[in-house]
Amino acid sequence: MISNETIDLKEFETIRNEVLETWPTGKGVRIEDGIRYQKRIPEEKRFSAAMKTARDKGRILLQPRAGVALIDEHIKLLRYLETEGEADLLPTTIDAYTRQNRYEEAEKGIERSKAAGSSLLNGFPAVNHGVDGCRRVVDAVVSPIQVRHGTPDARLLAEITLAAGFSSFEGGGISYNIPYAKKVPLEKSIRDWQYVDRLVGIYEEQGVRINREPFGPLTGTLVPPFISHTIGIIEGLLALRQGVKSITLGYGQAGNILQDIAAVTSLRELAEEYFKRAGFEDYEFTTVFHQWMGGFPEDEAKAFSVIAWGAAVAAFAKPEKIIVKSPHEAMGIPTKEANAQGLRATRQIVSMLADQRLFDSLTVRREVEIIKREVRCLMDKVYELGRGDLAAGSVAAFQAGVLDVPFAPSIYNLGKVLPMRDNEGFLRIFHKGNLPLDNDVMAYHREKLGERAKAEGREISFQMVTDDIYAVSKGKLIGRPR
Amino acid sequence: MSDPAIVLGVIGADCHSVGNKIMDVFFSGEGFRVVNLGVMVSQLEFVDAAIETDAAAILVSSLYGHGEIDCQGLRDLCIEKGLDRIILYAGGNLVVGKTPGAEVEEKFRAMGFDRVFRPDVDLKEAAALLRSDIEARRAEAS
Repeated sequence: MISNETIDLKEFETIRNEVLETWPTGKGVRIEDGIRYQKRIPEEKRFSAAMKTARDKGRILLQPRAGVALIDEHIKLLRYLETEGEADLLPTTIDAYTRQNRYEEAEKGIERSKAAGSSLLNGFPAVNHGVDGCRRVVDAVVSPIQVRHGTPDARLLAEITLAAGFSSFEGGGISYNIPYAKKVPLEKSIRDWQYVDRLVGIYEEQGVRINREPFGPLTGTLVPPFISHTIGIIEGLLALRQGVKSITLGYGQAGNILQDIAAVTSLRELAEEYFKRAGFEDYEFTTVFHQWMGGFPEDEAKAFSVIAWGAAVAAFAKPEKIIVKSPHEAMGIPTKEANAQGLRATRQIVSMLADQRLFDSLTVRREVEIIKREVRCLMDKVYELGRGDLAAGSVAAFQAGVLDVPFAPSIYNLGKVLPMRDNEGFLRIFHKGNLPLDNDVMAYHREKLGERAKAEGREISFQMVTDDIYAVSKGKLIGRPR
Repeated sequence: MSDPAIVLGVIGADCHSVGNKIMDVFFSGEGFRVVNLGVMVSQLEFVDAAIETDAAAILVSSLYGHGEIDCQGLRDLCIEKGLDRIILYAGGNLVVGKTPGAEVEEKFRAMGFDRVFRPDVDLKEAAALLRSDIEARRAEAS
């Protein structure tokens, strides 16, 4: 039975010995060696320090996504993003085979990439490259560097990359399972992520702070803020329980500026409230805003507009970090040049808007209160289903559809919730499935969707959801009838 | 003639599920008998499902860039398993990085795919092509 308890060290050791056996590069990975290596990394290159400074000084840091199959090419890519892209924080995005623990296939991908002279993998296969290979990457850059992926079982990946000096690790037991896997039981992924968080806790106890970042945007497709907030707060609480001290919660841009500002504001207020209520005081909390995660227009000029709008919204919402898109988004993995262009376009806007404030406090405040109501409806039920235990409650909540992520691939997700835009582009709930939302909250959603149906002269239908999904790539926010 | 069965799925280690769900609803609405295998489908799962359901076509999606590796050998596997005449479509962002559509199409046609679609294809157009391809295969067979 899963529970939200700190994993004891003896049990951790037993699991650890099995994990390190799953691929040859795991053998001989030593935490003490990792701690020694991490301690040599200067403060300005530590992820948690950069995030904390951003919060204290009210700055917004920019980070791209990037990863290719081979070490030298990956280093070239990251250095280019540092110099030409002016990135504040660097990523190492992991390829999709490694994310599914399919290291043999990653190995083939490495070989074929060598033969082809270009990357046939969509990311950096860190497990196959091992601790030494990963250290070459960490040592070659000057900025703080994070592992970004989508791995339901990231235990070996964490062991290797943390020992290699990466100072931040993205993901969580829900956010890297439900949107990223088909048949991984939630009990297993939550357990495996408690291991990752415990590992981070062990580094912390030895004086090495590793930043942890649950993945906010989930499926990146019309996810209403309250759903991603609830899951982010749960993952934050699970991480804190294992000894994590630097935690960054994320949110993916939805499209209406007022809803997006309300979302970042409410995420900050709710997380602090729930963390403190659970008895945590000694932690560093920050937020990350993801530029539009849905489908992009293929025209690069139009794609730049989507990027710039995300930058502008973030400049007003004031997260500590923005994850930046590239103008190649519609076509898949960007070149280093396109990736750097996305960064520079974002930089220009964020700098220009740094000193401005946007006021529509009435609407923003109204939306903040609605999101808070909705999150509380879900969180109360999760605690109730778990009889006070958040880990058990999360598993039960997904079974019951109390937690339900729109359009997720996992068979452990009920998949009954359908979101839709209202007449001003706010994300609302069309089908609530089994979400435990209060009647007056649902009445508000229905009223707002009714305004759109009236304006468009058509009944509310699944077609509107489809239209909304493809609207941005076709040049609009709301999927109006043609 | 009964509604033709078609097998849908996202190949390899790819978990992009949104388009797959939309295609399921759309092709069902167009009168196809949709057998949707969802995300992360292996070549063998595609072929087995096509045999079990006597499908006329397999529609392979890939959004994450590994399509080039994942799709190789699918046509051979179909032939090996006795699916000599099955229609194979591929669609999505099939290779790593921005690549001219003609180049991608050539690559996948050489791998034995009958048609190759871009990620922004109009589904109505794709359905019309699929219908005419199925009719043509049936005419050849009779």
